[in-house]
Amino acid sequence: MNGQYASLLIALPLISAFFVPLIKGAGKNAIKSYLVLITALQTGVAAWVFQEVYSTGKPMIVMAGGWKPPVGINLYIGHFAALFVLIVAAVSFLMAIFSFKAVNVEPIDKYAMLFLLLMLGATGMIATGDIFNLFVFMEITSISAYALTAYNKTGEAAEASMKYIVLGGIGSSFFLVGVALIYGALGTLNMAQIAQLASTLNPTVAQVGLALVVFGLAVEAEIFPLNAWAPDAYQAAPHPITVMFSAFVVKAGLYAMARIVYLMKDVGSWSSILKLLVILATLTVIVAELAALRQRNVKRMIAYSSISQIGLIALAFALGTQSGVDAGVFHMINHAIVKALLFLAVGYVAVALGGAEMENFRGLGKRMPVTAFTISVGAIATVGVPLFNIFWSKIRIILATLSVGYTWAAALVLAASVVEAVYYFRLLHVIWFEGTGERMHENMAMGIMLLFLAALVIVIGVYPSYAWNLAQKAGNDIFNVAQYVKNVPLMGVGA
Amino acid sequence: MISVYYFGAISLILIGLYAVLVKKNLLKILIGLSIMETGVNLLLISIGYVSGRSAPILSEGIGPNQAVDPIPQALVLTAIVIGVATTAMALSVAMLIYEKYGTLNIEEIRRLRG
Repeated sequence: MNGQYASLLIALPLISAFFVPLIKGAGKNAIKSYLVLITALQTGVAAWVFQEVYSTGKPMIVMAGGWKPPVGINLYIGHFAALFVLIVAAVSFLMAIFSFKAVNVEPIDKYAMLFLLLMLGATGMIATGDIFNLFVFMEITSISAYALTAYNKTGEAAEASMKYIVLGGIGSSFFLVGVALIYGALGTLNMAQIAQLASTLNPTVAQVGLALVVFGLAVEAEIFPLNAWAPDAYQAAPHPITVMFSAFVVKAGLYAMARIVYLMKDVGSWSSILKLLVILATLTVIVAELAALRQRNVKRMIAYSSISQIGLIALAFALGTQSGVDAGVFHMINHAIVKALLFLAVGYVAVALGGAEMENFRGLGKRMPVTAFTISVGAIATVGVPLFNIFWSKIRIILATLSVGYTWAAALVLAASVVEAVYYFRLLHVIWFEGTGERMHENMAMGIMLLFLAALVIVIGVYPSYAWNLAQKAGNDIFNVAQYVKNVPLMGVGA
Repeated sequence: MISVYYFGAISLILIGLYAVLVKKNLLKILIGLSIMETGVNLLLISIGYVSGRSAPILSEGIGPNQAVDPIPQALVLTAIVIGVATTAMALSVAMLIYEKYGTLNIEEIRRLRG
């Protein structure tokens, strides 16, 4: 089949978002079923793209309007993008099902539209090959994220959303200044051509431009000084949206950051940017873990834990070596699965028992055994116990860190893991050994989704080689810039 | 000598940033954000300026060689729309905050903590 059909990944959610108002009259459940249908279709398209890219080993290049890059905008769906587009679509599909139970606040039609736009934005950020187009998709993602954070219309939700808007607004302004500097110096916005011309760039301009771009993306990617919005937004947003934030919105930001940083590999001042990123990433891990330790709200606690895992991924990307990038991508896959599982289960408990306070988790093992079991699987996996998937990616990140010589960073990250173990095992203790209660009825669909994700965690944990293989190919897509440039059919225009 | 356009645009960005960091009133912070966005747009436009040339519209007497760079203008057109959307979103959230908290002072809007 023609590779241009991959543009359906963007077109399908966009068109279906426009059709939501038309079926609004058919009632609440019609809209929710429509959401399930569209995300299932999107998962199908993504699975086809994934299959195509991994079986041929060649990336799919979509050229908008038939204009060759760098004149037209191109989508570059390489190994990384194919994998993550599939993860985005699959997580959205699960969340569309979860929305039946978790979202009861009106207006549901606006929720469905924003949901689809959030999925569209993240897909676009991962697939695009143009730096300004990246900005546009980032804004689509973040504006729908602002609106979805405030969706519950409580005071807390409005407050969280406002923090996110102000930080996100500053971040996107800085990103745009960075894009302006890079464009002013090179005269191109296409990523492949930027990589080609990077060595001719004035080191000072490159350093300032790159720093501004990284700063702008760090808001979306939740790197340390700019992540204050994240725990609030995670706590106040509707439960399915929290899962989407943690499973792929952040990942899209991180990937964009890694992509742009590695495009500029030939620039003279590159290593100083990397050093800065290593320091910020290590701080992200430590600060978030210490903050998680004293939380009473379980959803907020897991939000902090999610931020610290993101710091770990950022650390792996900032090492500047092949093994580091591979390990980072592997951790991204694992973390998307585990955090989807944890937020889904905690969200379900909050829906069923009214709130995610620690009190509600007392005796959960007796009241909701399936949910409690899957929370336990997620918690143990996050800490990094062998035979669960995160163990393999965490150990690879630490080995990669040691091989570059950042012993202090590896030691601090490991120390943070101990803190992580403390609060997760405290949660497990509350669930299994405290309180009592009657057994409650658990929803079938929820049980199946939770058990599926838990099974995925354990299967990857026991047989990591298939997922590790995928991660290596995807990591090569980010790290090997020469190959990336060669894959994009650049017209000989301009410089 | 730095061009007055660059100087003006970067000053606007810094004034906006100052307002966001220092002001206590939520609406003043949002005004600061808007000023920042304006500064960024001006910076983008002035990067595409070529001294002595005219608007990039193909018409009589003006060929491709007499026009300024058209790409930043497309970028700014997009960025302006995005800026307006963000501002509208922020203002509606500000209304919601005023409804729920009865104040716009950011030091009193702190229910989420820990």
